[in-house]
Amino acid sequence: MKTLILFLLVTLPLRAADRIRVSSFSTILTEVATEVGGSRVAVTGHVKPGIDPHEFEPKPADMKTVGDAHLILLSAKHMEGYVGKLKEATGAKGRLIEVGDGFASLKLPGDHDGHDHGDEDPHWWHSVTNVGKATKIVRDELIKVSPDDRAVFTENAVKYLARLDGLQKWTKTKIAELPRDQRKLVTSHDAFQYFARENGFTIFAIEGISGSDQPSSKKVGAIIAVIRDQRVKAIFPESIQNPKVLTQITKESGAKVGRELYADGLGDGAAATYEGMYKYNVTAIVEALK
Amino acid sequence: MRGSPLLRALLAFVVIFALGYPLWRVTGTTVAIDASAPPPPAPVRSEVTLQVTFTTTPKKFTIAHLGRAIWEETAPAGEMERKVSLEYPREGVELHVTAEFGESTGPSAARIRLTDAAGDDHEQSLWGAGEIDGIVAFQ
Repeated sequence: MKTLILFLLVTLPLRAADRIRVSSFSTILTEVATEVGGSRVAVTGHVKPGIDPHEFEPKPADMKTVGDAHLILLSAKHMEGYVGKLKEATGAKGRLIEVGDGFASLKLPGDHDGHDHGDEDPHWWHSVTNVGKATKIVRDELIKVSPDDRAVFTENAVKYLARLDGLQKWTKTKIAELPRDQRKLVTSHDAFQYFARENGFTIFAIEGISGSDQPSSKKVGAIIAVIRDQRVKAIFPESIQNPKVLTQITKESGAKVGRELYADGLGDGAAATYEGMYKYNVTAIVEALK
Repeated sequence: MRGSPLLRALLAFVVIFALGYPLWRVTGTTVAIDASAPPPPAPVRSEVTLQVTFTTTPKKFTIAHLGRAIWEETAPAGEMERKVSLEYPREGVELHVTAEFGESTGPSAARIRLTDAAGDDHEQSLWGAGEIDGIVAFQ
């Protein structure tokens, strides 16, 4: 490891005026790197807010930027199917860090419609604790690239971690407004395993009705039965493209459709920051299930 | 096969309809749900006793349940007790406890004891400096 750091310091000399070039393939990690690195980093967010990271493919311009970066940050947990291409682009220069592999995975129940993540949920950022761990990983990697800036990165990380603590406290208080027997999340996008684990929710995945295909009456009946049996007041059917099925599910079960949640990263407006995105999701879930 | 093309087309349509309709009924999304199914049971309310003990007497004190204040004191004592009625599912309850102390106060603690309808005691503690603001869960 020491040899590698020495090699990097030789090949990528950082003068005081130079900024560390960071390439990020996660909107969450783009924010983390910007907050921790402060004025000492120039972060390129390749996956922009509102872009589905499952569908993202790097373009030649992205590869060029990655090739010049000192640090490349990935969500990992099989989110970036193009990681091999990035490794080729970076050669032996920048440090490629698969941040999500730095903490434990949660398994997905059944099939995960449409994506290829194996059997683990890659949406680790729905746990504030995980984002705290990611912050520490990014801080340590920045220090490895530029040891002279250790104090700056450490101080910035402490401030960001304090904000995450505040967010966790706010979340606990908000969720306390919801009776414990109503903490049931019915969703068609298996993106909230980490959220559920951290905040005491049970997930009921409505599998097999994503996309525009006509599901079987047995499948729809089973979903309606689950919603009724569990007395769930709202469902979050993010990727159901069949309005007839959705209408039938809500009509027969009595559940309403909750606001669309930010499952895949940051968005626009209030959801342009991690704190804003998380508060939006928590508020949408709590208000719909009350 | 003999007959006019019109008749043959009509016959083919009848055959397709006769075979297709039952198939559509079987695979369609119309689901029979028993409309007379009993409505979900109302949340169970339970009489519980709350007892709060502070290491330092606060200036203000509140306990909220499901976002609503169920116990507020503007001149609290160091030790207080009150009976309250709560929705108490088997998954348990969470109470949001806030207390304000003077600015010069050091670390303070609150011990919250809940005695449930069955007479079982549950205890949780919260710490804070200047104020206490936290959630306690009882099952």
